[in-house]
Amino acid sequence: MSSAEPQAEPKAGPERRASSARARFPRPEPDRDSAPWWEAVRRHELTVQRCEGCGTLRFPARAVCNRCRGRAWEWVPARGTGRVYSWIVNHQVFMPAMAGEVPFPVLLVRLDDGEDLLMYGDLVDGSPGDLEPGLPVEAVFLDVDESTTLVGWRPLR
Amino acid sequence: MGTFRDRAAIAGVGYTPFSKDSGVSTLTLAVDAVLAALDDAGLDVDDVDALATHRVGDSTPPWVVAPALGLPEVTWYLDQFGGGSVSHSVIGQAAMAVAAGVAETVVCYRAINARSEFRMGGTGRGPAAIFDVQYQAPYGYFAPPQQFAMYARAHMNAYGTTHEQLGHIAVGQRANAAKNPRALKRDPITLDDYLSSRWIAEPFRLLDCCLETDGACAVVVTSRERARDLRHVPVLISGAAWAGGDSFFSGAGSGPGGTDLTVTEAARLAPRLYAMAGAGPGDIDVAELYDCFTYSVLVQLEDYGFCPKGEGGPYAASGALALDGELPVNTHGGFLSEGYVHGINHVAEAVAQLRGTAGDRQVPGAEVALSTSQPGYVLAGTSALILRSDT
Ligand SMILES: [Zn+2]
Repeated sequence: MSSAEPQAEPKAGPERRASSARARFPRPEPDRDSAPWWEAVRRHELTVQRCEGCGTLRFPARAVCNRCRGRAWEWVPARGTGRVYSWIVNHQVFMPAMAGEVPFPVLLVRLDDGEDLLMYGDLVDGSPGDLEPGLPVEAVFLDVDESTTLVGWRPLR
Repeated sequence: MGTFRDRAAIAGVGYTPFSKDSGVSTLTLAVDAVLAALDDAGLDVDDVDALATHRVGDSTPPWVVAPALGLPEVTWYLDQFGGGSVSHSVIGQAAMAVAAGVAETVVCYRAINARSEFRMGGTGRGPAAIFDVQYQAPYGYFAPPQQFAMYARAHMNAYGTTHEQLGHIAVGQRANAAKNPRALKRDPITLDDYLSSRWIAEPFRLLDCCLETDGACAVVVTSRERARDLRHVPVLISGAAWAGGDSFFSGAGSGPGGTDLTVTEAARLAPRLYAMAGAGPGDIDVAELYDCFTYSVLVQLEDYGFCPKGEGGPYAASGALALDGELPVNTHGGFLSEGYVHGINHVAEAVAQLRGTAGDRQVPGAEVALSTSQPGYVLAGTSALILRSDT
């Protein structure tokens, strides 16, 4: 979700295709709580839950608010921007599919929507050497194939 | 709180050899470790009425080990799900079972072929499909070194913690292992060796990571009264405490905002542990701190109150953790250099120190020990013990 583009205008095609090796990484295994979140990502929409009882935004997906215990919620669009909290650069080939991919970074991002909303993802259009705490990033959607879309993060400067 | 303080004691410890390939089943490892612990205590199989362990689908449960040993009767057992985070939970619960009168003599064991059969988080084996994992594994992020590296980077970002500070932990523990005949890695290393070891997942190098090990270890837990009639000075279980775990779930973890990954659940556990034992950080003579990675030692120095938050790096680099330092840590070399039996070998080392039988690595006059499990990162709770020599 690029903040520069109107949300009402879905992209015609995948914004970016992930490398073919990524198709051999573990696939997301949505549960009954998270399936709608993954479906939204597939539509290139970044969402979080908003508790209808107390208004708290939450992520990852689950059916009960851990602040008011309320069970009613709605999915709301996230701003699609955040700041880098932590990261690694992975070198070890922990599974065969990583052989052609290492080294690769993995980011942990705090969403601008809320201090405690954290999401993981790939670094897109950036070099690990440029990473620093608080670096502003925006969400980018990575289409792995016809069934799977992942989230990446592109530095905003 | 504290109703079972000092009511149970560790009366025996036993090991199998540590290796990269045991060549035997986890059942055989468990049986061998239990028998070795009983022999150390001066007890017989017929004296045992309970067995306790933990596993993550990688070992043999008590109801198989019991008939394999020919136990006459099992009055209590524990087969806890979990890895290193529950290593001390198992022993704490054994102490409760003894204090409650449900069992008289519990043997706690952990038996794993963690190198030859069940490598954590890899290699070629996919991650378990639970909770947080779905949001992480598709990015190639699921192995313990990656997860702890992410937390270590957050600590570096927040407090300026350095690679060299992590390196001091690896170098210091290797020096301890050099004095431990059981240790898998005994050749001394330098800070340069550390800094030139290959990357695993930045900021971690190979020498930040524990050894994947085949082996087993067991401890005998019985009443203080009974332990006093046995072969060794009893090592009392003075404190046992538990805490929940961290996650990246919003509103749930440690610290302000719920997602400060530089604070572990050990920070919540520590005050209760110290209160139960009637001790504080200044009373600890030796600390065996869960060291799946160098960073987990560093963060526990802070969260167990040995130094202020953010100062674990300078404290580790000060020399304080050496055998002759202010707070000897991982006197056996830890998982980084002795071997990785998922936590119980820390307890066994604490027992040796409190008995005064740790040989060249003995900390003179050690009377009180802290031994800890994985501090609550990575979808796991945590647990820890304070042990005291019954002299
Ligand atoms: Zn609520």
